[in-house]
Amino acid sequence: MTGSEGFIRMRTLQVVVLIIFAVIIGRLAYLQLIDNRYTELAEANVLRHVVQYPPRGEVLDRNGEYLVQSRECYDLMVIYSDIDKRGFDTARMCSILGLTPEKIRRELANARMRPRAPRLVTSYISKEDKLRFDECNFRGFYTVYRTVRQYPRQVGGNLLGYVGEVNDNYLKRHPDYKIGDYVGMNGVESAYEPELRGRKGVKIQEIDTHGAIKGSYMNGLYDSLPEPGRCLTSTIDIRLQLLGEELMRGKVGAAVAIEPSTGEILMMVSSPTYDPDELVGRERGNNYMKMLYNKRQPLFNRAVKAKYPPGSTFKLVQGLIGLQEGVLRPTDLHVCHEGYQAGRLKMACHAHASPLDLRFAVATSCNAYFCYVFRDILDNPKYGNVKEGYDVWREYVESFGFGRKLGSDFLDEGNGYVPDRAFYDRQYRGSWNSLTVLSLSIGQDALGCTPLQLANLACIVANRGYYYIPHIVKKIEGRDSIDRRFYERHYTKVDPKHFEPIVDGMWRGVNVGGTSTMARLDGWDVCGKTGTAQNPRGRDHSTFLSFAPKDNPKIAISVYVENGGFGASAALPIASLLEEYYLTDTIRRPALLEYVKNMKIYYPAYDR
Amino acid sequence: MTANRRNGIFYGVDRWAVLLYVLIVIAGWISITAASYDEETSSLFSFSHFYMKQLMWIGIAWVTALVVLLLDEHFYHKFAYPAYFVGLALLVAALLFGREVNGAKAWFEFGSVRVQPVEFAKIATALALARVMSGYSFSINRAGDLMRVALVICIPLLIIILQNDTGSGIVLGSFLFVLYREGLNKWLCIPILLIAALFIVSFLLSPMTLLVAVILVCVLSEAMMNGHWRSRIIFLAAIALASILLCAAAALIAPGKLDLYHSLLIVSLLSVVGVSVYAYRSNLRNIFILVCFFVGSMIFLPTTDYIFNSILKEHQQNRIKSYLGLLDDPRNLDYNVNQSKIAIGSGGFWGKGFLQGTQIKYGFVPERHTDFIFCTVGEEWGFVGAVVVLTLLCLLILRLMRMGERQQEPFGRIYCYCVAAILLFHVLVNVGMTIGLMPVMGIPLPFMSYGGSSLIAFTILLFIAIRLDASTRQFSPDRY
Repeated sequence: MTGSEGFIRMRTLQVVVLIIFAVIIGRLAYLQLIDNRYTELAEANVLRHVVQYPPRGEVLDRNGEYLVQSRECYDLMVIYSDIDKRGFDTARMCSILGLTPEKIRRELANARMRPRAPRLVTSYISKEDKLRFDECNFRGFYTVYRTVRQYPRQVGGNLLGYVGEVNDNYLKRHPDYKIGDYVGMNGVESAYEPELRGRKGVKIQEIDTHGAIKGSYMNGLYDSLPEPGRCLTSTIDIRLQLLGEELMRGKVGAAVAIEPSTGEILMMVSSPTYDPDELVGRERGNNYMKMLYNKRQPLFNRAVKAKYPPGSTFKLVQGLIGLQEGVLRPTDLHVCHEGYQAGRLKMACHAHASPLDLRFAVATSCNAYFCYVFRDILDNPKYGNVKEGYDVWREYVESFGFGRKLGSDFLDEGNGYVPDRAFYDRQYRGSWNSLTVLSLSIGQDALGCTPLQLANLACIVANRGYYYIPHIVKKIEGRDSIDRRFYERHYTKVDPKHFEPIVDGMWRGVNVGGTSTMARLDGWDVCGKTGTAQNPRGRDHSTFLSFAPKDNPKIAISVYVENGGFGASAALPIASLLEEYYLTDTIRRPALLEYVKNMKIYYPAYDR
Repeated sequence: MTANRRNGIFYGVDRWAVLLYVLIVIAGWISITAASYDEETSSLFSFSHFYMKQLMWIGIAWVTALVVLLLDEHFYHKFAYPAYFVGLALLVAALLFGREVNGAKAWFEFGSVRVQPVEFAKIATALALARVMSGYSFSINRAGDLMRVALVICIPLLIIILQNDTGSGIVLGSFLFVLYREGLNKWLCIPILLIAALFIVSFLLSPMTLLVAVILVCVLSEAMMNGHWRSRIIFLAAIALASILLCAAAALIAPGKLDLYHSLLIVSLLSVVGVSVYAYRSNLRNIFILVCFFVGSMIFLPTTDYIFNSILKEHQQNRIKSYLGLLDDPRNLDYNVNQSKIAIGSGGFWGKGFLQGTQIKYGFVPERHTDFIFCTVGEEWGFVGAVVVLTLLCLLILRLMRMGERQQEPFGRIYCYCVAAILLFHVLVNVGMTIGLMPVMGIPLPFMSYGGSSLIAFTILLFIAIRLDASTRQFSPDRY
C-alpha cells in the first residue's frame, strides 16, 4: 500500500465518521425540533390533573326549608408503599369505617400493583368517621373531599331526582364531563344540572414514574379553585308534599298541586315513591336494582309521564268547546234516561233528574249530556263532514295542553295522547263517525293525559281561560329571574267568557249537590269535578280535579288513583284533605284522614 | 537515546485530545448529577450519591492516565501479547466464575465494585491487533496474515458472545474500520458488511433467499476484485442449472426427499472444491478468503435459528424482534426507547435547564445515568447541548485519526485507529439507541456513562494512544 492510497483511505474514513455524526444529528433535529409530539407525551408522563370537586347546589322549598343539602363526605385513598406494614391494624380500621376486612384486603391487593400511586379504597365516608379516622393516623391512608346529597325531610324521590356517576352514553353526548363525575338524573337534579353542578377546580401535580407525587406544577400557576353550584329555591311546599306522600302511600297514582296565578308546582307526588336517601352512598347500586325490579315501578315518575284516561274530568273541556263553537248554550236542556241511546248504541249513566242544563250536568257528571255536546261539535254542518269536525275538536283539546309536552322544567315530561284522524282511519279502516268515537266525550277511548296536564286543566278553569307553564323552580341563586317562558300567559282557544257556567257547575257539584259534595270546606268556595275512568286492568281509576277558592283561586289540584273506584271514593278525599291543609294549615276531619290512610286498594296488574 | 529526548512526561502530549477528553468527562459528570439528583435527599455532597462516586472515579481515572503517560512506549509494544492473553484469561474466568447481571455472565464483583473484563479486553485486543499488523512483512491482503488478524479478533469475540454479552462483543467488529485503513481490499469489506447485515435480518428471510443472497454477494464481490466477469456469470448460471437438474433428478428417483434449497446447498458446497482448485492454479488468493466466508456462512446459517432460540435469552430475543418490527408490544419492550425518545424530544432547542428535566428527574427513563445518559443531555440541554457533546466526541475521534496518521510506526497508527473505531462504534450504538436508530444493546457512552470500570478502561485506551503519539513527537525528525 502506497502512502497516497493510505491518504485516500484516511479521507474516506473521515467522511464515514462525519456521515455517521450527521445522521445522528439529523435524527436529533427531527426529534427535538420538528416532531413536537414528544413535549405532549412528556407532559402526559409527568403531570397529573387532580380534580377538586365543587359542592353541588342545594335545593330549598318555597318557604326556605331545605329539601336537598350537600353533605361533605370523603373518599378514602391509599398509597401502598407508605403503609406501615407491621403496625397497620386492619380490624381497627374496619371498626372505624364500617368496612369488612375482606374489602380492605382486596383493595390493598389491588393497590399493591402500583405501590406509589394513590388509589381509591372506598367512597362515602361520613364526616364523623373521617374525624375518628384522622385521630387514629393510619400511615399511607388519606381522605379526599367530595359531596353527596342529603335529604333532611326524605321526600320527593321522583320529584327531586338523584345524583349518580356519569355513564358512557352521557359522556359521549357531553364532552365536558369526565369519568367519575357525578351528574343529576331525573327531576330537578337533571333539569337544573348546569346550575347545580358548579365548576370543578384542578390542581396540577408532578408525579414520578411510580406515580408518587413530587410537588405542584409551576407552583400552582395553572391551578383553579372549585366553584360551588348555585342554590335553587323550589316552588314546592314541603309540608304539603309530606302530607301528599303520606296520603298516597299504598296507592298507585299521582297527585299534583299548582298555584294557578303563577303556574308554580306546590306539590308533586308520584306513588309509590321512595326515600331519596336510598340512592345515596354505598348501598345505592343495590337499592337501585331493587327498585328497578319492583313491579310497582317506584322509579317511574307517574306525575309527569303516565298516560291516564281522564274520565269525566274531561267533560269540562267538552263543555267549553261546545260553548265556544256555539253548539251549546248554558241553558240548553238535554234528556237523560239513565243513559244516551242512539240506535243500538247505548251509553249508560247514573240516576239523576232529567232533563238537565249544563251547570247541573257538570255538577252531577251526566254522561248523556256530554254525548249530545260532543256529537254536536263533530257533526257541525259548518265543517262538512265528521272528520273535519274532529280535527277542529282536536285543535281545541291541544290548546288545553293535552297531547303534547307542556314545556315544564321536567326534562322527561310525557306527551300524553290525543288520537288524531289517522289513528281512527287506521283503526276503523276509514269508516267512522261521531258515534264510533263517542266514548271520547266522557274522556275514555284512546285518550291519555298526564296528571300534570290534568292539574294544568284545573288551573285553566280556575284562571278562566289561561295557564302559566307549570314549573318547579322559583329562584336561582345569583339570577334575577327564571326562564322567560314561565312568565307568559298561555290562552286556550276558548274565550274566557265561556268559563263561568263550567266553574259554576263545579262549584255546585261540591256545594249544592252533585258528585263531589264530600270536598266541601266551610268558608272556602271549593270547586271540583270527579272522574271515574274505566280501564282494562281491574277496577276503575279514580280521579278528581279541584281548585279553591272559586274567586282568586290559591290552589288547583289533580289526584289520580289507579284502580281507586269512583272519583269520589279515593281521589276526592285525598285532594280535599290536601286543599284543607294548604288553605287552613289544619285538618279538621280526622275521620276522613284515617279513612284515606287505611284505604286498601288491590292491584292485580302490579302484584301478580 | 535519552539524550535526544525532550524531558518531562507532558512533552508532546496532544493538548487538543486531552482538552476534549476533559470536557467530555465534565459533561458526563454534569449529566450524571442531573440524572441521579434527588430533591428529597438533604445532604447534597454525601458519597452515597452517584455523582459523588463518579467524582471519585474521575479522580482515579486521571491518576491512571498519569500512570499511563509515565510508562515507556516500548512497554506497550512488548506488553501487547501478554496483555492480550491476560485479557482472554479474564474473559474466560468471567465466563466460568463471574457474576450474572442482566443475563450476561460478564462481571467480577469485588465488594460493592463491579468490574467488566470486556472493557479491558478491548484495550488488550487493540494492542494485540496493532502488534500483529505492525509486524515485519505483514500484508493485509495475504490470506495467511488475514487469518491471523481474524483470529486475534474472533477469539475474544467468541468468548464474549458465550458470556451472553453480544453488544460488547460486536464492538470488536468495529476493527473492520482499522482493517480498511490498513489496506484491506474494499471488495472484502463490502461483503463482510453485507453478510453481517444479512445475519441481522436472517430472522426475516427464508433460508433459500439467504443462501442465494450469500452466493451472489460472494461471487459478485470476487468478480469486482479480480475481473473475469464472463466466467463468474457462467459459474453462477452453472450452479443454478446444476441445482435445478439435481432437484429434478431427485424428484424422479425419490420424490419429496430433496427440495431446491438443499440441491442448491449441495451443488454450491461441491462447487467450492472446484473454486478452490481454480484459485490455487490461477494464484488468486483472495478467492480463498471468500470461500472461507461462504463456508462459514453455511455453517452459521442453520445455526442462527438455534442461536436465536436457545442461546439468546428471552429479553435479548425480544429486543432484536422488537427492533426488527417482529413484535408489537410498545409498552414493555420499546418502553425504554420510547421513554428515552420522549425525554430527548421534549428537550426542544434550548432544553429544560439543569435539574429541570422532568422525565429524567422523575425516573421515566430507565438506566438514565448509565446507558441512557445521553437522554439527560438531550432533555436538559436541548438540541444545542446534544450537538455540542456530539461535536466534542466527533472531534476527539477525528483527532485520534489525525494522531494515527502522523505516527512513524505502524504500531502507533493502528492503535490510534483502533481507539477511534471503538469510540465511534460506542457513540453510534449508544446515541443511536437513545434516539431509536439502533437496537438496544446495552453498551455505555464513552467517558460519560456512570461506572468506574468503563471510565477507567476508556481513559487507559485513550491515553495509551496519547502516549504513543507523544513519544513520536519526542523523537520527531525535525529535532535533528
